[in-house]
Amino acid sequence: MTRELQFETPGFAKRLRGMLGVDFYRLFHTPMFYIFLAIAAFIPALIVGTTGMQNPDGTVTQGLYTNVWNAVAADTPLYTFHDMGGYANMNMVFIFGGIMVSIFIGHDYKSGYVKQLFTTHAKKQDYMLSKTITCAFAMMGMCITYLVGAIAAGLLVGLDFSVNVGSLVIAVLSKMLMSFGWASLYTFLNIIFRRYFGISIASSFFFGTGILIIGIGAILGDTPLINVFLYGSSVYACLGANIVTLVVCLVCSAVWTAVYQLLGTRILSKCDIY
Amino acid sequence: MNAIEIRNLSKSFRGLYAVDHLNMTVPVGAIYGFIGENGSGKSTTEKLICGHLVPDAGEIRLFGRDYTDAGVRVRVGALIENAGCFPNSSVRDNLMMQAINLGLEDRDGEINRVLAIVRMEDAANIKFKSCSLGMKQRIGIAMALLGDPALLILDEPINGLDTDGMCIMREILVDITKNYGCTVVISSHILGELEKIATHYGIIRQGKMIMELSAEEMDSRAQVFISLKTKDVRGAMAVLKQHYTDVRLTEDGGLRVYDVDDTEGIVKVLLENGHVVSEIWRNKIGLEEYYIELMSKKGADAT
Repeated sequence: MTRELQFETPGFAKRLRGMLGVDFYRLFHTPMFYIFLAIAAFIPALIVGTTGMQNPDGTVTQGLYTNVWNAVAADTPLYTFHDMGGYANMNMVFIFGGIMVSIFIGHDYKSGYVKQLFTTHAKKQDYMLSKTITCAFAMMGMCITYLVGAIAAGLLVGLDFSVNVGSLVIAVLSKMLMSFGWASLYTFLNIIFRRYFGISIASSFFFGTGILIIGIGAILGDTPLINVFLYGSSVYACLGANIVTLVVCLVCSAVWTAVYQLLGTRILSKCDIY
Repeated sequence: MNAIEIRNLSKSFRGLYAVDHLNMTVPVGAIYGFIGENGSGKSTTEKLICGHLVPDAGEIRLFGRDYTDAGVRVRVGALIENAGCFPNSSVRDNLMMQAINLGLEDRDGEINRVLAIVRMEDAANIKFKSCSLGMKQRIGIAMALLGDPALLILDEPINGLDTDGMCIMREILVDITKNYGCTVVISSHILGELEKIATHYGIIRQGKMIMELSAEEMDSRAQVFISLKTKDVRGAMAVLKQHYTDVRLTEDGGLRVYDVDDTEGIVKVLLENGHVVSEIWRNKIGLEEYYIELMSKKGADAT
C-alpha cells in the first residue's frame, strides 16, 4: 500500500498550542497540582492559625502577625532576613512552586515522555516556553489559594484586616507576575540537571529560598538594587506597593524569563535529550 | 525520494564512536530491518534520526528534508527503548496527550483507531503501570501510530516478550507494514521474525554500515546448499570433500554441501562409494545464518 506523502509544516503558534495543550492536560490530570494548591493554602493557615493558641502551660502563643495581610507580604521590602514573620509570606509559594516544577519536568524525563515530544515536531524553545507558562500558571494558582488560606485563617483567628486595598492588589498581582520569572528559572535548572532528579529538586529549593540574594542583601543592605533579582522583586512587592512596583516586577520577570528561555533553549539544542 | 538518507553520520560518547561515519538509505515504503550486534550503534542511530541525540557530524534527511524540519517530524513515530508513557496515567490519557501534542482534530476517533490496531481496545482505561511488558510495547506502538506517521522507527519492539507477546507483536507489525503504507525501520535481534516482514536490510557493525541490501538481493546472495543424511557421516563427508569445496557437518548429525545445486550428482557420487542417502533436500541459508556468516567473515578480516 502506497500513499501520497504531504508534509505541512506547523507554525510556531500551532506547535506551542499543542505543547501547551499537553502540559495543561497533564497539570489538570495529576493529583500533584491539587496537592500543591492545598499546601499553598495550608501553609498561611498554619502560620496565621498559631496566633492565640493556648500552650499546655496556659500561656498564649504570640502570633507572627497581628494583621492578616502580613502573611501575604511584608509592610516594606525586607531583603535581608530580619525575622520569620518578614520572610514567611506569599514568596514561599515560589519555593513550593520550584519543587512542583522539578516533579513536573522530572516526570517528563523519568517516564521517557520527553522522547515522544521531541520525536515529533516539538522544538526545544516550545518545550521551554510551554513548561514556563504552565508552571507559572500553577504558581499563580498557588498564590490565589495562599491568599484564600490566609484570609480564612485570619477570619478564624480574628486578626486585623485593615489594609490599603490598592497596594494589596498590586502586591499580589506583582507576585503573580513574578511567577513567570521563577517558573522560567526552575525550568532552566531542571533542564540543566535533567538527568539528576534529586539535584533538580535541591537546586530549585535552594534558589527558591532566595538564600543567595538574602546573602547579597546582608552585604549591600536593603537596597533597591536587589530588585534586579527575582527574589528581590518578589520581596519588593510588599504592602506598600504602588504602580512602580508592578512595573519593576513586570520588567524583572520578563527579562529573567527571556534570559532563561534563551539559555535553556540553547542547552537543549546543543545537548542530547537524555 | 528516500524516506531516510544519512551521510557520514557520527556520534561519540566520551571519545568513543557509537556511530562512525555511517551512511544509510531507506527507500520510501520499505520495511527496513536494521541488524547489528549489541552495542553496534543501532539504537544510537535511531535516536539520532529521532532527534534525541545531537550528532557530532553528518547529515540526516527525511523524505528529502532536513530531519529537524517540523513538517517532516510531525509525521515520524517512534518506539525507542520504552513507550514513553506516564505510569500513573491511563492508556487513553497517555494517548490523548500525544494526540493533543500532534494537534489532531478527532482525538477520540484516532485513539480508538490506534488501540484497535494494537488490539488494546479493552485496556484503554487501565493505568499504564498496570500493563504487562507486551502491552506496554503495544501501547508504545499505538503512540507512534498516532497522527498518520509516514515513518515509524521501532527499536527492538519484540525484545523481552514471551511467545504469545511475540506472536501478537508480529501480527501487529505485519498489519502496520502491509496495511498502513508507512516506511518502517525495525531493529531486532530476532532475525527469524524480521526476515518474515523486511523488504530491505542494513547491517551495522561497530558504528559503521557494512552492508545495505534489499530482500531480493539478500535472496540472491544467500548461499544455496544441499542437506543430506546418511549412516556413515564421516565417510560420506570424506567422499564429498573430494568433489566439492564446502562440505560441513551439522549439529543434528547431517551434512551440508554449500554453493551447489546438484542433488543428483551428490547422490550419484555417494552411491558409487557405497553410501546410501536416507534424506536429501535443497535449501537456502536464512537471514540469521547469513548474518552470522557475514559477521564471522568481517571478524576474521578485522583480525
